[in-house]
Amino acid sequence: MTNDAWLHQQIQDLAQRQPQFTDRAFWVALDQMVAEQAQRRDQLQGEIDGRTWRPDRW
Amino acid sequence: MTTLILVAHPQLADSTSQQFFKASLPPEASIVWEHLDAQENFDVAQEQAQLRQADRIILQFPLYWYAAPASLKAWEDTVLTRSFVYGDHRYPLADKELGVVVTTGMPAKAFQRGGAEGLTLDASLAPLAAVAQRAHIRWLPTFAVHQFGYLTETQKLQLVVDYQRYLTQPQPDSLTNRQAWFAQRLEQMVAKLPADQQATGRLIATTFDQSRADLDQLADTLAMIKETEDD
Repeated sequence: MTNDAWLHQQIQDLAQRQPQFTDRAFWVALDQMVAEQAQRRDQLQGEIDGRTWRPDRW
Repeated sequence: MTTLILVAHPQLADSTSQQFFKASLPPEASIVWEHLDAQENFDVAQEQAQLRQADRIILQFPLYWYAAPASLKAWEDTVLTRSFVYGDHRYPLADKELGVVVTTGMPAKAFQRGGAEGLTLDASLAPLAAVAQRAHIRWLPTFAVHQFGYLTETQKLQLVVDYQRYLTQPQPDSLTNRQAWFAQRLEQMVAKLPADQQATGRLIATTFDQSRADLDQLADTLAMIKETEDD
Protein backbone atom coordinates (compact mmCIF):
# COMPACT_ATOMS: atom_id res chain seq x y z
CA MET A 1 0.00 0.00 0.00
CA THR A 2 1.34 3.44 -0.89
CA ASN A 3 1.69 6.14 1.75
CA ASP A 4 -1.10 8.13 0.10
CA ALA A 5 -3.50 5.18 0.20
CA TRP A 6 -2.57 4.45 3.82
CA LEU A 7 -3.18 8.04 4.89
CA HIS A 8 -6.48 8.14 3.01
CA GLN A 9 -7.60 5.00 4.84
CA GLN A 10 -6.56 6.29 8.26
CA ILE A 11 -8.45 9.56 7.74
CA GLN A 12 -11.55 7.82 6.40
CA ASP A 13 -11.55 5.37 9.34
CA LEU A 14 -11.34 8.26 11.77
CA ALA A 15 -14.09 10.14 9.90
CA GLN A 16 -16.43 7.15 10.15
CA ARG A 17 -15.92 6.98 13.90
CA GLN A 18 -17.05 10.57 14.56
CA PRO A 19 -20.67 10.64 15.74
CA GLN A 20 -21.06 14.38 15.19
CA PHE A 21 -21.75 15.49 11.60
CA THR A 22 -19.53 18.58 11.73
CA ASP A 23 -16.61 16.57 13.17
CA ARG A 24 -16.99 13.94 10.45
CA ALA A 25 -17.09 16.78 7.91
CA PHE A 26 -13.68 18.00 9.04
CA TRP A 27 -11.98 14.63 8.50
CA VAL A 28 -13.69 14.08 5.15
CA ALA A 29 -12.55 17.55 4.00
CA LEU A 30 -9.06 16.87 5.31
CA ASP A 31 -9.00 13.76 3.15
CA GLN A 32 -9.75 15.97 0.11
CA MET A 33 -7.04 18.39 1.21
CA VAL A 34 -4.53 15.54 1.47
CA ALA A 35 -5.49 14.30 -2.01
CA GLU A 36 -4.88 17.83 -3.34
CA GLN A 37 -1.46 17.89 -1.65
CA ALA A 38 -0.55 14.56 -3.26
CA GLN A 39 -1.67 15.77 -6.69
CA ARG A 40 0.33 18.99 -6.37
CA ARG A 41 3.37 17.01 -5.19
CA ASP A 42 3.19 14.73 -8.25
CA GLN A 43 2.80 17.73 -10.55
CA LEU A 44 5.73 19.60 -9.01
CA GLN A 45 7.94 16.49 -9.11
CA GLY A 46 6.95 15.94 -12.73
CA GLU A 47 7.77 19.51 -13.63
CA ILE A 48 11.15 19.31 -11.86
CA ASP A 49 11.96 16.07 -13.71
CA GLY A 50 10.90 17.59 -17.01
CA ARG A 51 12.90 20.76 -16.55
CA THR A 52 16.05 18.98 -15.39
CA TRP A 53 15.93 16.53 -18.34
CA ARG A 54 18.34 18.41 -20.64
CA PRO A 55 19.91 16.09 -23.27
CA ASP A 56 21.61 19.12 -24.82
CA ARG A 57 23.77 19.39 -21.72
CA TRP A 58 24.93 15.75 -21.73
CA MET B 1 -9.73 37.37 13.35
CA THR B 2 -13.31 38.39 14.14
CA THR B 3 -16.05 37.54 11.68
CA LEU B 4 -19.42 39.23 11.80
CA ILE B 5 -22.26 37.30 10.16
CA LEU B 6 -25.42 39.20 9.33
CA VAL B 7 -28.22 36.87 8.31
CA ALA B 8 -31.21 38.21 6.38
CA HIS B 9 -34.04 35.69 6.19
CA PRO B 10 -37.72 36.28 6.98
CA GLN B 11 -38.34 32.65 8.07
CA LEU B 12 -35.08 31.53 9.56
CA ALA B 13 -36.49 28.66 11.61
CA ASP B 14 -37.99 27.06 8.49
CA SER B 15 -34.83 27.35 6.41
CA THR B 16 -32.86 24.10 6.34
CA SER B 17 -29.89 25.76 4.67
CA GLN B 18 -29.70 28.55 7.26
CA GLN B 19 -30.06 26.03 10.10
CA PHE B 20 -27.31 23.99 8.48
CA PHE B 21 -25.02 27.04 8.32
CA LYS B 22 -25.74 27.85 11.94
CA ALA B 23 -24.86 24.33 13.05
CA SER B 24 -21.65 24.53 11.00
CA LEU B 25 -20.23 27.61 12.74
CA PRO B 26 -16.68 26.79 13.87
CA PRO B 27 -16.91 26.70 17.69
CA GLU B 28 -13.37 27.87 18.41
CA ALA B 29 -13.46 30.91 16.15
CA SER B 30 -14.34 34.46 17.12
CA ILE B 31 -17.70 34.88 15.42
CA VAL B 32 -20.56 37.30 15.99
CA TRP B 33 -23.82 36.03 14.50
CA GLU B 34 -26.88 38.24 14.07
CA HIS B 35 -30.29 37.67 12.54
CA LEU B 36 -31.39 40.97 11.03
CA ASP B 37 -35.09 40.08 10.78
CA ALA B 38 -35.18 39.47 14.52
CA GLN B 39 -34.45 43.13 15.28
CA GLU B 40 -37.47 45.37 15.52
CA ASN B 41 -35.31 48.47 15.35
CA PHE B 42 -31.63 48.55 14.63
CA ASP B 43 -29.44 49.97 17.36
CA VAL B 44 -27.30 52.03 15.01
CA ALA B 45 -24.45 52.70 17.45
CA GLN B 46 -24.27 49.02 18.39
CA GLU B 47 -24.41 47.85 14.76
CA GLN B 48 -21.71 50.29 13.75
CA ALA B 49 -19.52 49.24 16.68
CA GLN B 50 -19.88 45.60 15.58
CA LEU B 51 -18.81 46.53 12.07
CA ARG B 52 -15.78 48.42 13.41
CA GLN B 53 -14.69 45.41 15.45
CA ALA B 54 -15.04 42.88 12.65
CA ASP B 55 -12.23 41.93 10.31
CA ARG B 56 -14.52 40.07 7.95
CA ILE B 57 -18.18 40.90 7.41
CA ILE B 58 -20.43 38.21 5.98
CA LEU B 59 -23.85 38.99 4.52
CA GLN B 60 -25.85 35.79 4.40
CA PHE B 61 -29.21 35.42 2.71
CA PRO B 62 -31.33 33.60 0.14
CA LEU B 63 -31.59 35.35 -3.24
CA TYR B 64 -35.07 36.87 -3.62
CA TRP B 65 -35.72 38.37 -7.05
CA TYR B 66 -32.02 38.90 -7.73
CA ALA B 67 -31.41 40.70 -4.45
CA ALA B 68 -31.19 40.19 -0.71
CA PRO B 69 -34.38 40.05 1.42
CA ALA B 70 -35.81 43.37 2.58
CA SER B 71 -34.27 43.22 6.07
CA LEU B 72 -30.77 43.62 4.65
CA LYS B 73 -31.78 46.74 2.73
CA ALA B 74 -33.44 48.11 5.88
CA TRP B 75 -30.23 47.44 7.80
CA GLU B 76 -28.12 49.15 5.12
CA ASP B 77 -30.39 52.18 4.99
CA THR B 78 -30.39 52.55 8.77
CA VAL B 79 -26.89 51.53 9.85
CA LEU B 80 -24.71 52.53 6.92
CA THR B 81 -25.07 56.26 7.34
CA ARG B 82 -23.18 58.49 4.96
CA SER B 83 -20.95 60.00 7.62
CA PHE B 84 -20.14 56.54 9.02
CA VAL B 85 -19.20 54.97 5.69
CA TYR B 86 -17.32 57.77 3.93
CA GLY B 87 -18.69 61.21 4.77
CA ASP B 88 -15.94 62.34 7.10
CA HIS B 89 -13.18 60.79 4.97
CA ARG B 90 -12.11 58.50 7.80
CA TYR B 91 -13.38 55.28 6.25
CA PRO B 92 -13.69 53.21 9.46
CA LEU B 93 -14.44 50.09 7.42
CA ALA B 94 -11.43 50.40 5.12
CA ASP B 95 -9.47 47.19 4.49
CA LYS B 96 -12.08 44.97 6.11
CA GLU B 97 -13.37 42.11 3.99
CA LEU B 98 -16.93 41.62 2.85
CA GLY B 99 -18.19 38.22 1.77
CA VAL B 100 -21.64 37.16 0.64
CA VAL B 101 -23.08 33.74 1.42
CA VAL B 102 -26.05 33.39 -0.89
CA THR B 103 -28.41 30.48 -1.43
CA THR B 104 -30.45 30.07 -4.58
CA GLY B 105 -33.27 27.79 -5.64
CA MET B 106 -31.86 27.53 -9.14
CA PRO B 107 -28.68 25.70 -10.19
CA ALA B 108 -25.38 27.51 -10.82
CA LYS B 109 -25.74 27.16 -14.58
CA ALA B 110 -28.91 29.30 -14.49
CA PHE B 111 -26.88 32.33 -13.46
CA GLN B 112 -25.22 33.26 -16.72
CA ARG B 113 -26.20 34.90 -19.98
CA GLY B 114 -28.42 32.45 -21.83
CA GLY B 115 -29.14 30.59 -18.58
CA ALA B 116 -32.63 30.36 -17.08
CA GLU B 117 -32.03 33.47 -14.93
CA GLY B 118 -29.98 35.30 -17.59
CA LEU B 119 -28.06 37.19 -14.94
CA THR B 120 -24.82 36.36 -13.13
CA LEU B 121 -24.68 36.41 -9.34
CA ASP B 122 -21.98 39.08 -9.58
CA ALA B 123 -24.42 41.23 -11.52
CA SER B 124 -27.23 40.71 -8.99
CA LEU B 125 -24.89 41.56 -6.14
CA ALA B 126 -23.50 44.65 -7.87
CA PRO B 127 -25.24 47.15 -5.54
CA LEU B 128 -23.65 45.47 -2.49
CA ALA B 129 -20.26 45.41 -4.19
CA ALA B 130 -20.63 49.12 -4.92
CA VAL B 131 -21.31 49.81 -1.23
CA ALA B 132 -18.16 47.86 -0.38
CA GLN B 133 -16.15 49.88 -2.86
CA ARG B 134 -17.50 53.17 -1.48
CA ALA B 135 -16.48 52.07 2.03
CA HIS B 136 -13.05 50.89 0.86
CA ILE B 137 -13.92 47.35 1.92
CA ARG B 138 -12.38 44.40 0.08
CA TRP B 139 -15.01 42.36 -1.73
CA LEU B 140 -14.45 38.59 -1.45
CA PRO B 141 -15.45 36.05 -4.09
CA THR B 142 -19.07 35.09 -3.40
CA PHE B 143 -19.91 31.85 -1.58
CA ALA B 144 -22.97 30.55 -3.41
CA VAL B 145 -24.94 27.45 -2.49
CA HIS B 146 -27.34 26.38 -5.19
CA GLN B 147 -30.27 24.04 -4.55
CA PHE B 148 -29.23 23.05 -1.04
CA GLY B 149 -32.01 20.47 -0.88
CA TYR B 150 -30.48 18.48 -3.73
CA LEU B 151 -27.02 18.16 -2.17
CA THR B 152 -25.82 14.65 -1.35
CA GLU B 153 -24.55 13.68 2.10
CA THR B 154 -20.96 13.90 0.84
CA GLN B 155 -21.54 17.36 -0.65
CA LYS B 156 -23.06 18.50 2.63
CA LEU B 157 -20.05 17.23 4.59
CA GLN B 158 -17.78 19.18 2.26
CA LEU B 159 -20.03 22.24 2.53
CA VAL B 160 -19.58 22.38 6.33
CA VAL B 161 -15.84 22.88 5.96
CA ASP B 162 -15.99 25.07 2.85
CA TYR B 163 -18.34 27.37 4.78
CA GLN B 164 -16.09 27.38 7.86
CA ARG B 165 -13.12 28.25 5.67
CA TYR B 166 -15.07 31.05 4.01
CA LEU B 167 -15.75 32.53 7.45
CA THR B 168 -12.26 32.22 8.91
CA GLN B 169 -9.55 31.34 6.39
CA PRO B 170 -7.25 34.11 5.11
CA GLN B 171 -7.84 35.04 1.49
CA PRO B 172 -7.05 34.28 -1.29
CA ASP B 173 -8.21 30.68 -1.17
CA SER B 174 -4.81 29.35 -2.29
CA LEU B 175 -3.31 25.94 -1.54
CA THR B 176 -0.91 27.60 0.92
CA ASN B 177 -3.75 29.31 2.82
CA ARG B 178 -5.89 26.16 2.73
CA GLN B 179 -3.07 24.05 4.16
CA ALA B 180 -2.40 26.58 6.90
CA TRP B 181 -6.09 26.61 7.84
CA PHE B 182 -6.26 22.81 8.00
CA ALA B 183 -3.02 22.60 10.00
CA GLN B 184 -4.40 24.91 12.67
CA ARG B 185 -7.80 23.24 12.77
CA LEU B 186 -6.19 19.79 12.81
CA GLU B 187 -4.57 20.55 16.14
CA GLN B 188 -7.93 21.44 17.69
CA MET B 189 -9.65 18.45 16.13
CA VAL B 190 -6.99 15.97 17.31
CA ALA B 191 -7.24 17.42 20.82
CA LYS B 192 -10.98 16.69 21.00
CA LEU B 193 -10.70 13.08 19.76
CA PRO B 194 -11.47 10.32 22.29
CA ALA B 195 -8.36 8.83 23.92
CA ASP B 196 -8.34 5.66 21.79
CA GLN B 197 -8.24 7.74 18.56
CA GLN B 198 -5.60 10.25 19.69
CA ALA B 199 -2.62 8.28 18.38
CA THR B 200 -4.13 7.97 14.89
CA GLY B 201 -5.04 11.65 14.92
CA ARG B 202 -1.52 12.67 15.89
CA LEU B 203 -0.03 10.43 13.21
CA ILE B 204 -2.28 12.00 10.58
CA ALA B 205 -1.30 15.49 11.79
CA THR B 206 2.41 14.66 11.58
CA THR B 207 2.04 13.21 8.09
CA PHE B 208 0.04 16.26 7.02
CA ASP B 209 2.72 18.66 8.29
CA GLN B 210 5.40 16.63 6.55
CA SER B 211 3.51 16.76 3.23
CA ARG B 212 3.14 20.50 3.64
CA ALA B 213 6.88 20.90 4.22
CA ASP B 214 7.65 18.63 1.25
CA LEU B 215 5.48 20.76 -1.02
CA ASP B 216 7.28 23.93 0.11
CA GLN B 217 10.60 22.26 -0.60
CA LEU B 218 9.51 21.13 -4.08
CA ALA B 219 8.19 24.61 -4.88
CA ASP B 220 11.53 26.12 -3.78
CA THR B 221 13.49 23.65 -5.92
CA LEU B 222 11.31 24.42 -8.91
CA ALA B 223 11.70 28.17 -8.40
CA MET B 224 15.47 27.70 -8.31
CA ILE B 225 15.46 25.71 -11.56
CA LYS B 226 13.28 28.33 -13.26
CA GLU B 227 15.65 31.05 -12.10
CA THR B 228 18.68 29.34 -13.71
CA GLU B 229 16.71 28.77 -16.91
CA ASP B 230 16.11 32.50 -17.16
CA ASP B 231 19.86 33.18 -17.40
